[in-house]
Amino acid sequence: MSRRVVALGLASLVLTAVAALVGPSLAGAQGDFILWQLRVPRVLVGALVGGTLGLVGACFQTLFANPLASESTVGTTAGATLGALAALALALPGGFPTVFACSCLGAGLASVAVTLVAGSGRATMGDVLLAGITVTVATGALSVGLQYLSDSRALVAASRWALGQLPQVGYDGVLVLAPVTVPCWLLLLTRTRALQTFTFGEELAESRGVNVPSLRRLVLAVGSLGVGACVAWCGPIAFVGLIVPHVVRRMVGAELRRVLPLSLLSGAAFLVLCDALSRSLSPGRELPVGVVTAALGAPGLVLLLLRTRRSAAA
Amino acid sequence: MLNDVSVRKGARTLLDHANVELRGGDFVALVGPNGAGKTTLLRAALGLVPLAGGRVRVNDADLALFGARARAAELAWLPQHSPPADALPALEAVMAARYRFQETTGAARRSAERALERVGVGRLATAPLATLSGGERQRVAIAALLAQEARFLLLDEPANHLDPAQQAETYALLGTLVRDGTGILCVTHDVNLLAHTAAAPRVLGLAAGKLRFSVDYGSAELSGRLSEIFGVHMLSLAAGSGRVIVPAPPDVGGPSA
Repeated sequence: MSRRVVALGLASLVLTAVAALVGPSLAGAQGDFILWQLRVPRVLVGALVGGTLGLVGACFQTLFANPLASESTVGTTAGATLGALAALALALPGGFPTVFACSCLGAGLASVAVTLVAGSGRATMGDVLLAGITVTVATGALSVGLQYLSDSRALVAASRWALGQLPQVGYDGVLVLAPVTVPCWLLLLTRTRALQTFTFGEELAESRGVNVPSLRRLVLAVGSLGVGACVAWCGPIAFVGLIVPHVVRRMVGAELRRVLPLSLLSGAAFLVLCDALSRSLSPGRELPVGVVTAALGAPGLVLLLLRTRRSAAA
Repeated sequence: MLNDVSVRKGARTLLDHANVELRGGDFVALVGPNGAGKTTLLRAALGLVPLAGGRVRVNDADLALFGARARAAELAWLPQHSPPADALPALEAVMAARYRFQETTGAARRSAERALERVGVGRLATAPLATLSGGERQRVAIAALLAQEARFLLLDEPANHLDPAQQAETYALLGTLVRDGTGILCVTHDVNLLAHTAAAPRVLGLAAGKLRFSVDYGSAELSGRLSEIFGVHMLSLAAGSGRVIVPAPPDVGGPSA
């Protein structure tokens, strides 16, 4: 089992690194520029975003005791999207910092709304998930309203962003995202044991010494911050947080000591590879990476569910 | 431990001014009909339900003032049904019960292995919980309870899912723990199992949220008191050096209790 852990970890790292080389030849004077100013920063941002989504997804699945929970199903991504979209579509002044702040604010408010709607203190996890779906639907409707209200130039920018993509020149994205996401990773990973104890139910976890309300607050807040940052920079990217932890669990078992760090690494590799695909599928043109993750993630998840059901039936 | 504790749910009183004395080295058994409030009493003692009145005191301090980890050092809980974390190996499930200790994974693993050995299921360490039988899972849950190393154990039907030999073994193990100074409060349906503890248990009778009696396990009064709270005539039959208490068959007339 532990050989699989090492194999999956190493494969994720190697694939992430190799992804930078995928695409048209890097020969000539332009090659250096393409590699160091376009591909490498893109891979780094992809890794930061994918790792965050994968890890937050795995933590949310545990916190909500629900295999279908992830930042996109409990309303966090929707809240972040609404916040960032408000900044973009209404062309608020201040540039990226405003988008970033609005996105984190939206993610945080959505998470708070989910906990409040669910009755905070001693709500069951089913309540929280239902509240998450409500928030997602509501913010989705508000987003459409915002796009309807915005002027056409802002609308084009906003709808491009809303597809979810990674292209960029230079290292701004890395410099913006790394200082936010990496501390989020570390904080979430320090809660591994508490989350593992939590898998036995809230009350048993409480009786074993886990401060459940504080654990829930921390994971929701840190998850919202990380997801808010990612959404602000590259738009909503679906399915990473949902499918990556499932695949990891199937490969290395249910121990969160393994699942959490590997969801981080594999999430990074998955998004970076999807991005490599998105820029090499049709030469000269790029698909938004959000389209690729959804195109791979949705059927992948269906396949997983079917196989899980078959093995449960057997 | 419980001082005049009441628990209400809406207009219903689940627990009415309950007083329970439990010290290290005590074995207290809690019996009563279904719905009497036995599980509620344990949950109240653990601080898992809000109290409508009274206090839970541990070491002469109010439990409400304890942090989660400090409370876990005092009280450990074996719930009636432990939710299965299906794919997790038994050893990891036991390690998760050691959350209160700040220790390395290796140290947690060694303690968890010892706990599994102690309840006789060391061979199951790597088996995923989902593949275990009901009895095996119950013993893993008991191993997790031991691994927490709390001073007081609150058990809800520890003999659940166990065959007669395992039930006897489990109560014998509880007896050993009591002699080592652990305090045990144990909900049970079968008072006869208490004989296996080789301790001197006290039996508390709970009915409709009220504690009705507190008698020693060896007392001749016990069968009469049980007849009262269960509303069925209980016979005390001599067996070996002790006795067993069983519900009377229909053709044995009982005293009008």
